Amino acid sequence: MNDELILQHGLTLNEFQIIKDYLKRDLTMEELGIFSAMWNEHCCYKTSKKWLKKLPTNNDVVIQGPGENAGIIDLEDNDGVAFKIESHNHPSYIEPFNGSATGVGGILRDIFTMGARPIATLDSIRFGEINTDKTKYLLNGVVHGIGHYGNCIGIPNIGGESEFDSTYDFNNLVNAMAIGHVKKDAIFYSKPKTIGGLIVYIGSKTGKDGIHGASMASDVFSENDEDDKRPSVQVGDPFMEKLLMEGCLELMSSGLIESMQDMGAAGITSSSVEMASKGNVGVLIDLDKIPLRQPLSPYEILLSESQERMLAVIEKDNDTKVREILKKWQIDYEVIGEITDSKNVVFTSKNKQVVNLPVNIIVDDAPEYDREFYLPRKRNKKDFDCTHLNLEKMINNLFDNLNYLDKSWIYNQYDSTVMGDTVKEPGQSTGIIKLHDSQKVIGATTDCNPLYIRINPELGMIYTVVEAYRNLISSNIKPIAITNNLNFASPLDPNIMGEIVLSINGLKKSASKLNTPIVSGNVSLYNQTNDLPINPTPVIGMVGSNLNINKIISNKFQNDGDIIVSIGESLGYLNSPYFLKDQKITREINSFNELEDIDLENEILTANSIMYLADNKLIQSCNDVFRGGIFMSLIKMIEKDYGFTVELPNKFDLFCEYRAGYIITVKEDELSKVCNYLSKNNVSHSNIGLVSNETIKINSKVFDYFEIKGKYLDNFEKIIN
Amino acid sequence: MSFKSAVITFPGSNCDRDALTYLKDLTNGEVLNIWHEETSIPAVDLIILPGGFSFGDYLRSGAMASKSNIIPEIIKHSESGKFLLGICNGFQILTEIGLLKGALIQNKNLKFLGKDCFIRKKHENKFNKFIKQDQVLQIPVAHNEGNFYCGEEDLKHLNDNGLIAFEYCKGSFSNSDENINGSINNIAGITNEQKNILGMMPHPERAYQSFHGSKDGKIIIESLLS
Repeated sequence: MNDELILQHGLTLNEFQIIKDYLKRDLTMEELGIFSAMWNEHCCYKTSKKWLKKLPTNNDVVIQGPGENAGIIDLEDNDGVAFKIESHNHPSYIEPFNGSATGVGGILRDIFTMGARPIATLDSIRFGEINTDKTKYLLNGVVHGIGHYGNCIGIPNIGGESEFDSTYDFNNLVNAMAIGHVKKDAIFYSKPKTIGGLIVYIGSKTGKDGIHGASMASDVFSENDEDDKRPSVQVGDPFMEKLLMEGCLELMSSGLIESMQDMGAAGITSSSVEMASKGNVGVLIDLDKIPLRQPLSPYEILLSESQERMLAVIEKDNDTKVREILKKWQIDYEVIGEITDSKNVVFTSKNKQVVNLPVNIIVDDAPEYDREFYLPRKRNKKDFDCTHLNLEKMINNLFDNLNYLDKSWIYNQYDSTVMGDTVKEPGQSTGIIKLHDSQKVIGATTDCNPLYIRINPELGMIYTVVEAYRNLISSNIKPIAITNNLNFASPLDPNIMGEIVLSINGLKKSASKLNTPIVSGNVSLYNQTNDLPINPTPVIGMVGSNLNINKIISNKFQNDGDIIVSIGESLGYLNSPYFLKDQKITREINSFNELEDIDLENEILTANSIMYLADNKLIQSCNDVFRGGIFMSLIKMIEKDYGFTVELPNKFDLFCEYRAGYIITVKEDELSKVCNYLSKNNVSHSNIGLVSNETIKINSKVFDYFEIKGKYLDNFEKIIN
Repeated sequence: MSFKSAVITFPGSNCDRDALTYLKDLTNGEVLNIWHEETSIPAVDLIILPGGFSFGDYLRSGAMASKSNIIPEIIKHSESGKFLLGICNGFQILTEIGLLKGALIQNKNLKFLGKDCFIRKKHENKFNKFIKQDQVLQIPVAHNEGNFYCGEEDLKHLNDNGLIAFEYCKGSFSNSDENINGSINNIAGITNEQKNILGMMPHPERAYQSFHGSKDGKIIIESLLS
């Protein structure tokens, strides 16, 4: 095999030599394809594994940590919750509609593969500056794609986040998260149990789409790549996935299936290798039996990423029953091989072996790199002059910026109420879904603060985890666990590698302290086009619960005249990077001050106090304070025609970021009770005003309520059109 | 006698479970779930054709489902004067079968629309009789093809015969739209001439429990039960 061919397959010459030394023979083209698919970052985490191992992944509520299709946590009784987040960044840049749609499809399969019925999705999406036609095209396509897939299959979208920043101009990010409900005694794993068990193929026919998708996802783009790479983008069919989901869930509940694995990235190759590795067994698969959409070579079959396909293992006696159930759902089904005791992965075609590889070399001997990394430089303390900023100017700066505006243009394209169990829809600090036939609710949020992480990867990551934590607390949802999606540029750059290492460290510190282990995740590297790297964007999805739906608190104002209490302490504008950037004081990364240290004990103490007050029905509504400060927090609490009247001694504190920051509203006659409790627990708080109908009044200055509300609600659509 | 009802499931229906739960919670009677390939339906008082993307919306929303095995039985049920309710995709299926007038075309902004909408009753029938004339209901919609259209003659027929069950309207506070999807005369739901078949785009089965934020969807079943 020549060097060029090897490099085209995304392997280094050194990696290829390792394989040859082990096998003591030449590889077939099919085998080269398998290593290409399995040894890229997307499948084997060769750059990040060393660091990911340090993350806390277990505690007494974790049923399944990383390593399966999704993580699962215990929600008491027989209830478990499966969840995971996954990226579809590169495909969504090349073909936004199908790229994002199949991102949703893929993450949903990860959930129902485990026997869980998907009950909610969230999406974390990032785009470049909106002033180009390209960004508008990407935004429209991505939102349309996410909506199309989720709406059709009928899983509610309950939240997420979007951000616009120039570092994503040529590399947008699409991370999709899904949550499922599983009975603890009916969880399915990918590990097969019986030697001689039948390997069966369930779902759509295999076509040419997505060949080499996984290695593309681990590649750097160059300028004219989009057209060349478009055939690598998979095409999704949510109707097929709906049938597949119902068919698989029916098979699983009938006890006809032994194990299941979805054909995700690297299709039948990764799913079969994964199964063999988990069970410490071998697989023998006849490629001639694979249902095909068009004539394909064995090489193409192995690497196809056609969507809506599953691999399962069943006992021989169940063949007819399985066939019948799948016929009802009009799903293709074929017996394609069997589990062997050889510990080798063997694929045949035309009665000839085209692949015969020991499982352990593909999985256990996958390369693991300890790449060089640099630590960021110390920052000098800087002062900035903000005296020119008055209230109007600061408000207008926020309302001219997509990142602060109401995003209903996005989430109104999603069905967020299908399944009838949605408690809180997108647009609030927490998405909340009720478990069907139960009083338990699950809250979820996705977050990332790339600017913080760019300034200080470790501390910035802690801020990100804390933001997610506050999001859940503000609805009285107890945070339980995390799924992560680490989006970074090329790890071959030691500065970027430093961001990866340090932010994982920040994740480790905060997740340990907050007792929210990481149960699943995904790594997406090489997010750069030519020399333009994205901001470090390690997105986290945090999931929590409240076992009693009646204890949930609203993120929106409830009654005219309620007292507004601000909790926490302002970081001051010099230490509020988003304030400095978005008020146009500075945007040069090197000019920002070092991030203020964050006191996790204080965050926990404050959170516990809020949960106590909420449990005792002393809080009418609550919202967390983050980017945009108290002002944005209050604006987001507006519902119906409620507004607010507030007084703050320092006008900048209205827009700065906060330590343990929340806004709560309380009834006037319960104020002293609430304040006494907060004082007793050393939670800093101050009474800053009251909820007032059709009024926005700040430090005695009256603003036009309908104008402010109108700008917040309508400017997003005006700016993007 | 207790109220008996059924929900039909087509491949791609995704509000069938929601409709079943809605009926179980509100009727206290037996509720059946019937697969689209069945060729008979036991005698029931109400059948719901649920929302979703039956047959993946291939060809046209509701077009493939309108040719399912179960459809002659649905027609028979409706001819006997019993109630038939099509919600969202169910409404689209009813217009495709021809049991209701008009058609549901793509929303005016060409985008899927998922949000709370406000409706009020226009003409009275058994589905909406408990709703007061000026009462505004808050109920979610979730559709891509919810823009009701019909020719002038049909529109006159609907108006003259009092067949417009629901129309979209403004909510009680600022920033609420009136015509959310471009429907002619703001039509959100219509009946047949006998007024035993109702098709509506909003989803009452998503607005009947406290945590839904609105319980306005209850009133349809309450009206039918009386």
